[in-house]
Amino acid sequence: MRLLLEPPAAAGLDALAAAGEAVCAAGLDGVLLAPSPELPAPLVAAAALAARVPSILIAAEVEVGEGHPIEVAEEAAVVDVASGGRLILVAAPAPGREDRAGEALDLIRTALAPAPFRVEGPTWRVPAGLPQNQHNPERRARLTPSPVQPRLEVWGAGGARDAALGRGLGFLAEADGDPRELGAAWARAAAALGPALIGAARARRERFDGDAPALVARLRAGRAAFGQSWAVVAAPARAAQAISRRVRPRVQTDRLPEGLEAHWDATLPR
Amino acid sequence: MQSTAAAPANPTELYERFADDAALAERLGFRSIWSAEHRAWYDGWCPALVHAQAFAAARTERLRFGHAILLVPQHDPLRLARALATLDRLSGGRVDLGAGMGHRDAEFDMLGLRRDRRGRLMDAALDALSAVWAGEHGDAPPLQRPGPPVWIGGMAPQAIARAASRGHGLMLPQTLRPPELRTIVEAYRSQARRPGTVGALRDVWVAADGRRAEAFRRAAEAHYREEAGSWWVLKGQVGFSQPEQLARQLARVSDTQVVGPPERVAEQLNDLYAAGAEFLVLRANFDFVERAELREQLELLAEGVVPLLDPAAARAA
Repeated sequence: MRLLLEPPAAAGLDALAAAGEAVCAAGLDGVLLAPSPELPAPLVAAAALAARVPSILIAAEVEVGEGHPIEVAEEAAVVDVASGGRLILVAAPAPGREDRAGEALDLIRTALAPAPFRVEGPTWRVPAGLPQNQHNPERRARLTPSPVQPRLEVWGAGGARDAALGRGLGFLAEADGDPRELGAAWARAAAALGPALIGAARARRERFDGDAPALVARLRAGRAAFGQSWAVVAAPARAAQAISRRVRPRVQTDRLPEGLEAHWDATLPR
Repeated sequence: MQSTAAAPANPTELYERFADDAALAERLGFRSIWSAEHRAWYDGWCPALVHAQAFAAARTERLRFGHAILLVPQHDPLRLARALATLDRLSGGRVDLGAGMGHRDAEFDMLGLRRDRRGRLMDAALDALSAVWAGEHGDAPPLQRPGPPVWIGGMAPQAIARAASRGHGLMLPQTLRPPELRTIVEAYRSQARRPGTVGALRDVWVAADGRRAEAFRRAAEAHYREEAGSWWVLKGQVGFSQPEQLARQLARVSDTQVVGPPERVAEQLNDLYAAGAEFLVLRANFDFVERAELREQLELLAEGVVPLLDPAAARAA
């Protein structure tokens, strides 16, 4: 299982970088940045964090459905290029725009593919082909730069669950959802898509208040209920070491040899 | 951030270079670094400047980041306001918004926007930025109050009027000759109750050696020929199909470039100050410029040209 830290909303660069450095030092997989009143554009914060901290993955949770998805795709491409291919784009529908989630996800991914494209959806038509835009018009649009990742990692979140799963994309579930219901949704998607669902990130938000055994138990239960493969753990930066030493080793393999956990308990600092 | 046919480059390396260039500019005492936006072009031209600037701002401490220019009508205003506020906060208040219109139909059309509505879109966006930064959408305010300074790009009467009526600064294009610049500055100052700063762009190349100066002019001509030939609409047609018009435009670009030994460069830049420009944005960075050459140019400008400049002349103009 891969583990991202979701640090408390930072107000400035130093706090943001400190969280990223703690994650990097602890050997966790990365950081998730969500919008906050102080830093309302997570993709901008992701670019700044990428400049300060090498190697870690950076997930940015953005709203889709209100503005133009092309703009989201361009920003994601630039951040992925600047970071050397470390971006995970997490797209949640804007409130009341759940109906547009699938169309937005399709347009973002189409635009990020390295080929000229033409899309005519219920909400967005690209290129629009407006008669007023008559000089040197394009019949197909081409978004540049291309991301570094051959297929940029895109997850759905919030009200985009069915849209994401139906497209074989990853999905970040909230911490308090019903795990059996989530398992049923993933099972339906697997039945519908078959091998096209292989590798899709089955992610959930988690909380960590210092109780490592409780988080381990929850992640193991998540794996049993819906095949959880990613966890986004809300915790302060100082918790990165505890998560990495006391949680991470226990959720990588299906089981651990008898006695190993007792050995860790006896030899590792609390 | 361009990987052109003439000068290909690794895309990630381009963003690393931008951060390195920013750090060098800061060490050399430059006040700010300015970047231009375009989208949907083969060379990967950066369509999300604020994000690129966040990357470089995270590796600098004092340098300011401006746009010359950002195509404001092509952005969702709420999204742009939040991006700029985030950069402003992360950079410790080091953002200048250079707001321009954009001119390529293909860019507007990709986003479902009419180019002929760009003036209205600009005004609506500028209003929206103020509203978001004032907290009307629940955001914390940017570090700079009431928001990052705004510079209106362009030289059209509407741009002058917009900057004057809103109390924003001006960022004038690089092809204006000093007398033309003076006329515009006078118009702006006569319209503005509280005029902002008048900035002007200029291509510069410090070269005491005539052959190096000529090499720059030739490479720059090819660079602008590609851009103007592909994008500019001359007499209703794309540039390459209008060779005479294109040649005239390129001659103007070349005529207004400031190329030569440091004393000569300083003299020509002082002519701009004397004509009323208070702030100069100097461009020596092009796709064809090698890293070492750019470093040398920045050093030559900082050490050989800047000490000879007389920006106080602008106030007297």
